[in-house]
Amino acid sequence: MLDKKNNMLKIDNLKAGIEGLEILKGINLSVKKGEVHAIMGPNGSGKSTLSSVIAGNDNYEVNSGSITFEDEDLLDLDPDQRAHRGVFLSFQYPVEIPGISVSNFIKAAITEKRKVLGLEPITAKDLLGKMKEKMDLLDMQKGYLSRNMNEGFSGGEKKRNEIFQMAMLEPKLAILDETDSGLDIDALRVVANGVNKLKNSENATIVITHYQRLLDYIIPDYVHVLHNGRIVKSGGKELAHELEKKGYDWITKEADKKWG
Amino acid sequence: MGLIENIKEYQHNFAGNSNREKAYLSFLNKGFPTTKNEEWKFSSLKKIISHDFTIEEKGLKLSKEEIDHYSLNFKHQILFINGTLTSKPNINGVRINKYVDDSPIFNSAFSALNAACSNIGYEINVDPNTIIEEPIEILFLTKNSSNNFIQYRNKIVIGENAQIKIVEGIKNLSDKYCFTNMHTNIKLDKSSNIEFNKLQNNTDSQITIDETNLTQEKNSNSTVNTLLFGGMFTRNNLNFAQNGERCESNMNGVVILDENEFGDNHTYMDHKNANCESNELYKGIYLGKSKGVFNGKIMVQPDAQKINAFQANNNLLISDNASINSKPQLEIYADDVKCSHGCTIGQLDENALFYMNTRGIRKEDARAILTFAFASEALEKISINKIQDLAKKLIAEKLKVDLSF
Repeated sequence: MLDKKNNMLKIDNLKAGIEGLEILKGINLSVKKGEVHAIMGPNGSGKSTLSSVIAGNDNYEVNSGSITFEDEDLLDLDPDQRAHRGVFLSFQYPVEIPGISVSNFIKAAITEKRKVLGLEPITAKDLLGKMKEKMDLLDMQKGYLSRNMNEGFSGGEKKRNEIFQMAMLEPKLAILDETDSGLDIDALRVVANGVNKLKNSENATIVITHYQRLLDYIIPDYVHVLHNGRIVKSGGKELAHELEKKGYDWITKEADKKWG
Repeated sequence: MGLIENIKEYQHNFAGNSNREKAYLSFLNKGFPTTKNEEWKFSSLKKIISHDFTIEEKGLKLSKEEIDHYSLNFKHQILFINGTLTSKPNINGVRINKYVDDSPIFNSAFSALNAACSNIGYEINVDPNTIIEEPIEILFLTKNSSNNFIQYRNKIVIGENAQIKIVEGIKNLSDKYCFTNMHTNIKLDKSSNIEFNKLQNNTDSQITIDETNLTQEKNSNSTVNTLLFGGMFTRNNLNFAQNGERCESNMNGVVILDENEFGDNHTYMDHKNANCESNELYKGIYLGKSKGVFNGKIMVQPDAQKINAFQANNNLLISDNASINSKPQLEIYADDVKCSHGCTIGQLDENALFYMNTRGIRKEDARAILTFAFASEALEKISINKIQDLAKKLIAEKLKVDLSF
């Protein structure tokens, strides 16, 4: 009973794919508030499909199973409704949107969320104050706000901009899809530091990554290994270190024996 | 009957005036353009001219509320109601009068027809060195009881070093057709400057054929912003001729049409002299079953060395049933010039829509924001804040969203 109440996200036997090809072959995952989960796995294991399906990308078809977020069926909701409930996806490849400044983009997102939640619109002054605070947290230059959304951004700038949006939107569940890719070690430290500062006992984070590197900075409570559309091993943070030393082979071979 | 018969019946009104008769014969000889005419290939008038029209109907009385409603409330206003000039501003250094063109020049069927039978129009003369910051609003309101065919012929002459800004609007307040054949000649003397804003947020009973000709003397600078936001049928012919060196000509257009609306922008940039510049940017957004045409011709004459001509026409087809025909045309007879042109036709980026969606922005709003962002590059060129704000409001209305961009 208590367990169910604390479950923020519950994924049950989720099978999903794209264009008739099944990529996720039965995912089970429970995330409670306050937790950090890492999902690791080799390329092509289904990591990005999982994050896309949670966020609601309709290019992917869900064939069976369920995703429950705070006792609500997430699969029934549009991506914007999921965002309003508190789900946030940091994109592996953030999209460039010419013609819209970062500040106008964030203003539109926050205005809409507050409208849906029945909250008073945020004043321009409060919004700017909050943006400044979060930019400091992520060591971002002031000029960022007037630049067009991700247009001409370097890989690192794009990822930083993702975490900036996360900081502004204050989601309950943040999914960081390969946030470490394209980041040098200094940028990685800044981004991880930002994520850690945003963490509290009421929210949860899923870190999706190929490498263990990011997990030196964002310490997970649980590590899951995704292989061929299934979570084939789960453990504590030491599992990430083990993977770093031994690679994925020892787990995937064992799993292949089991599922073929 | 049909429009051509209506015009023939009207002929006695200008019988005896040799200039007008000459123009009339030229029109009859040419006839209304058909889609066999290359310049009208995608712009069919067939259905429109099959209707009966009253030529220059006297019109119905407009209430003060109606006039106020369509007024943009600029300080200086030239107001035409049902073809009568009812008010004009007093501005130091600017003379505004009723205009009758005694020696009309015409080269197309519509300009010949306009030359033959137009009795309505304004003339603005700006004295040299006169700088008018506040825009002059020119409003043509009609309210008719039958289909009305109305022609205006206007002239603006801007003296040396003078500067003005114009905002022009046409409004048909009735649900009968109003077919407007508008002809405006603008002469810019040396080092003068004009910004002409055409606000064409017309109703689906408005048919507009517009010809605006600008001739520029050396060092002059002209900008024409066309905001085509509605109307059953709109054909704009916008022509620039640079008669001196170091002229600059700018054209910015935003077209956003829905349902069965039709909009056609034909532009002609005549580079006749050296060291001049032209910039042309048209953004088209087509919803519903709307149709658009863009035809941008740049002529670079042999003497027009070291000119810089830029042209871009970018289009968004929001609906599967909308269409655009875009045709850039470059004719270059000088060898040391810089000319660039580009034309794109595309849809909204689905990845961008999903991305915005995951940030909590509704699909409709995400579409509107992306569409507005697409148009904003051309809108930003308008120097009059009030017009920019109005354009933003009208775009939101057109996209059916409650957003302030």
